[in-house]
Amino acid sequence: MIGSLYHPGDTPLHRIPAAAKLGFLFAAGLALFLTDSPAPLAAAAAAAALLLAATGAPARSLWRQLRAVALIIALVFAANLAFADAGTAFAVLCRLSALVMAAMTVTVTTRTSDMLEAVERGLSPLGRMGLANPAKVGLAVALTLRFVPEIFGHYREIRDAQAARGIAASPLAILVPLVVRNLKAAEDIAAAIDARGFGAPRDGASPKERHRP
Amino acid sequence: MTDIVLDNVSVKRGASIVLDSLTLALSERRVAVLGANGSGKTTFVKLLNGLVLPTAGRLMVAGLDVARDVHAVRRRVSFVFQNPDNQIVFPIVREDLAFGLRNRGMAKDEIADRTATVLARLGIAHLADRQVHGLSGGEKQLVALAAAMVTGPSLIVFDEPTTHLDLRNRNRIRAVIGEMAEDAVIVTHDLELARDCERAVVIADGRIGFDGCPAAAIDWYVGRCS
Repeated sequence: MIGSLYHPGDTPLHRIPAAAKLGFLFAAGLALFLTDSPAPLAAAAAAAALLLAATGAPARSLWRQLRAVALIIALVFAANLAFADAGTAFAVLCRLSALVMAAMTVTVTTRTSDMLEAVERGLSPLGRMGLANPAKVGLAVALTLRFVPEIFGHYREIRDAQAARGIAASPLAILVPLVVRNLKAAEDIAAAIDARGFGAPRDGASPKERHRP
Repeated sequence: MTDIVLDNVSVKRGASIVLDSLTLALSERRVAVLGANGSGKTTFVKLLNGLVLPTAGRLMVAGLDVARDVHAVRRRVSFVFQNPDNQIVFPIVREDLAFGLRNRGMAKDEIADRTATVLARLGIAHLADRQVHGLSGGEKQLVALAAAMVTGPSLIVFDEPTTHLDLRNRNRIRAVIGEMAEDAVIVTHDLELARDCERAVVIADGRIGFDGCPAAAIDWYVGRCS
């Protein structure tokens, strides 16, 4: 079973503040789309691979997280090879690989609570302007990180149950129960979040805010 | 002791009546709620911290009208769900306990103190930095309970807390519920756990089928099921 995306550790990457890592990821994401030249993109992919290796997370655990995305990247590479040219396909391969490995480096070395805090702080100017709700965006990020492994777990259970009944693997046969099960889980999770006081006025809030339903 | 008063409380979903004109006053420290699947018992307990609101009637918990003061009620009433996997929001135990306290705007130092205290109280301090996905079913249920306790409620509502557990973990959860200082309302199919309570309410087809001491309630319920 795929585990949590975060890998506890005390590497220099773990010690960098979450906001700095997210800022770097944002900038790297933009920079990777500023060039189509294979050489700098290959260098970026190599650098991202080195960063990921420096997280100290076991290679097996990293591969378990990477393999589904690797398949998609391989498909995109094959499509570019078929409909464009080898140079473009290689550039796309390097760009996506660099982006995915850089993002994994951030998730593997950053606690969800630190990420949540950084997102909330980063979005607070938008919150003051009424353009976004930083707490909700932060919670959405946290939930994504928490439940990606759960969804993989559900996939495995459904696949095992179907295999035990002699049902051959088919995307539709897996997708329908997977969506239904995750929607049901989402309903329970939403209730749990409500029950735990998310969105309630905080201690010290004004009486007006406290009485708002 | 957390007073719970239902006055003609009904819950409807579309055309169907889930709970029908319940009138009840509870003040015991341990109350079991029994009933068949689909009888309305989970809806009944979800009323207690405003996860479901009455469509008719009035529900007061600790002197607060749930429909009017839902946030205030949730500060006093915590909820432990049947499946801890759907309750635990953060991947690390310590982070998950902090979630409810962050929602109250508590300072980091105080969050750390309260989290450590509750984990120690439940004997799971060693799990503080563990990843949730690696815990056993019993450990997850204890973490879910710790997350419910950490906000300092006067009442904890449990929805089938022992359903997914083996005998050892079931006994552990029973012992914890028995010893905890907070009041508890427990939906359960576990008749031994119900026997530990001071009072039992059986919900049958959205109504109160039986209300009284656990031994008599269990007899009534078993008789109805056989």
